[in-house]
Amino acid sequence: MIKQLILKQNFVLWIIAVCSVIVPFVLPNRYFQDITIMTFLWAGLATSWNLYSGYCKRLSIGHAAYLGIGAYTSTLLYLNFGISPWIGMLAGGVISAIAALIIGGTTLRLKGTFFVLSTIAFAEILKVMTITSKEITAGALGLMIPYQPGFTNMIWQGKIPYALLTWIYMIIVLFISVRLEKSKLGYSLVALGENQEAAENLGVNSTRTMLVAFVMSAVLTSFGGTLFAQYVMFIEPTSVMSMGNSINFILLAIAGGMGTAFGPMIGSFILTPVSNLLRGYLVGISGLHGLILGLVLIAVLLYRPDGILPQLKLLFRYLFGKIAKPGKGE
Amino acid sequence: MEQVLQVLISGILSGGIYALASVGLALIFGVVGLVNFAHGEYLMLAMYIAYWIYNFSGLDPYQSLIINLAVMAVIGYITFKVIMERVLDSDHSIQMLLTLALSMVLQNLALMFWKADYRNIRIDMTNDTMNLGFLTFNTPRVLAFLIAIGASVLLYLYLQKTFTGAAMRAISQNGKAAQLMGINIKRTYGLAFVIGTTLVGLAGLLISPIYPAYPTVGASFSTLAFIVVVLGGLSSVPGAIFGGLVIGVVESLAGYFAGPAYQQAAYFLLFILVLVFKPNGLFGRS
Repeated sequence: MIKQLILKQNFVLWIIAVCSVIVPFVLPNRYFQDITIMTFLWAGLATSWNLYSGYCKRLSIGHAAYLGIGAYTSTLLYLNFGISPWIGMLAGGVISAIAALIIGGTTLRLKGTFFVLSTIAFAEILKVMTITSKEITAGALGLMIPYQPGFTNMIWQGKIPYALLTWIYMIIVLFISVRLEKSKLGYSLVALGENQEAAENLGVNSTRTMLVAFVMSAVLTSFGGTLFAQYVMFIEPTSVMSMGNSINFILLAIAGGMGTAFGPMIGSFILTPVSNLLRGYLVGISGLHGLILGLVLIAVLLYRPDGILPQLKLLFRYLFGKIAKPGKGE
Repeated sequence: MEQVLQVLISGILSGGIYALASVGLALIFGVVGLVNFAHGEYLMLAMYIAYWIYNFSGLDPYQSLIINLAVMAVIGYITFKVIMERVLDSDHSIQMLLTLALSMVLQNLALMFWKADYRNIRIDMTNDTMNLGFLTFNTPRVLAFLIAIGASVLLYLYLQKTFTGAAMRAISQNGKAAQLMGINIKRTYGLAFVIGTTLVGLAGLLISPIYPAYPTVGASFSTLAFIVVVLGGLSSVPGAIFGGLVIGVVESLAGYFAGPAYQQAAYFLLFILVLVFKPNGLFGRS
């Protein structure tokens, strides 16, 4: 009975996801706790990205735009009107949904390459607009959130509350992703990713399916944007809406396993700490940590384009089941 | 009026460079079917090579042209052999991600070797101007424009008049049929890739006397080149030349009328409009 439960592979992955909450309590100092928070946050963000781009195999290289909408909406509402970031987070979600509807409505029908380029263009336009509308967003100077701890302000002393918050965010997004995978919407998305024409002939409403997933992905990303702003307490256009951030979504998802519910989380659990530690320890040689990440990505793409997750699943089977030996397929 | 004309012409001058930076991308896309996000990184490399040669031997970018282009061709060949050749049959998204990763690697390599400082090449000609009636031009820019347009047109003629050029066009129309006609696909792919990287390298070399080199200089040119080729119909070389000129003009007019901050926004907006209303490019066939 227990053995069967364990062998349902998602079970082990859920255990990993849930138990990861212990990590910030165990870690001795703020530096490692900070890395943990970023790991949770990026796990949630990459999973959000994966909802559309991963299942549907259509890359969005502009998700930093929704990260930016989330961060800027809640921060501007808080700074100008004193509105709690909890409400600001929802407002950011609404704006992201509207933006995704408009953008998705016009670009989702574009063929592969064109779609990818349009996502980049949207993110860049938004970044430029944020930089130029200085009266509202303070432009390139960025916005500072004053330190006034309190639950309604979503600001706390110490790192633990942030770790819990980002962990909850990750779990929620993960839950949505797992549910999506087993829903009609999820199956339709995967079918569209495999072969759009065939899927349409079988009665999949491609426009509606893609739009729903795209909006979900954008809204969840924007929630993460608010959390990012509240945690870092300083946002500027280039730190939030940079192309580098957009690429990070993809890097984590592809390293873990694109188009699987748990892949992006695994990707973030491995790569975010590695990336942060590298950045910390190789601070003397600028560029080295980016170089290593780039090489890792190239290696993954060339040798394991499905990511780490399938390997991990084989390992679980081997460890817990000893039924199939690793390397003998699923 | 005079000012507008001056702005317009300076837009055309930059447009020539954009055209040269983009024709290679259009060629690679058309022939190899590869969306190369690392395209701008080759421009960056060429700028650093020009800088290095200038610093060590005193040869200015024009004198070191041959060496620089040869190095660029070799770099292009190595990337094709080591990385691109393995994924020719892979999913489009895998290819795109791979070129993204490659651009990450090249940018960070540049950051390691040369730090984030701006590197300028100040040759005698840098501040030279020539006058034509009431209009004034910066000599290196005019030179860059002329060479850029010349090289782009040469590429066009090469595709039209030579056998290998015809082979490239054949592959871009129908790869399988071309292969059946006895065209060595992999060799032609490699050649197209090398020509593409060499041409964008030439663009980098030409702007090196007037534009500083820094590790992320290529990234801005990458996105720009993408917009240019989309305007021109993605795989069309004359389309890319035309698209480059359009972007150059749009950029400088937007800079003049709305302010320099809106230059980028203007061509991105144009890009989205074209994608939505004419996804096959300004004069692409459907």
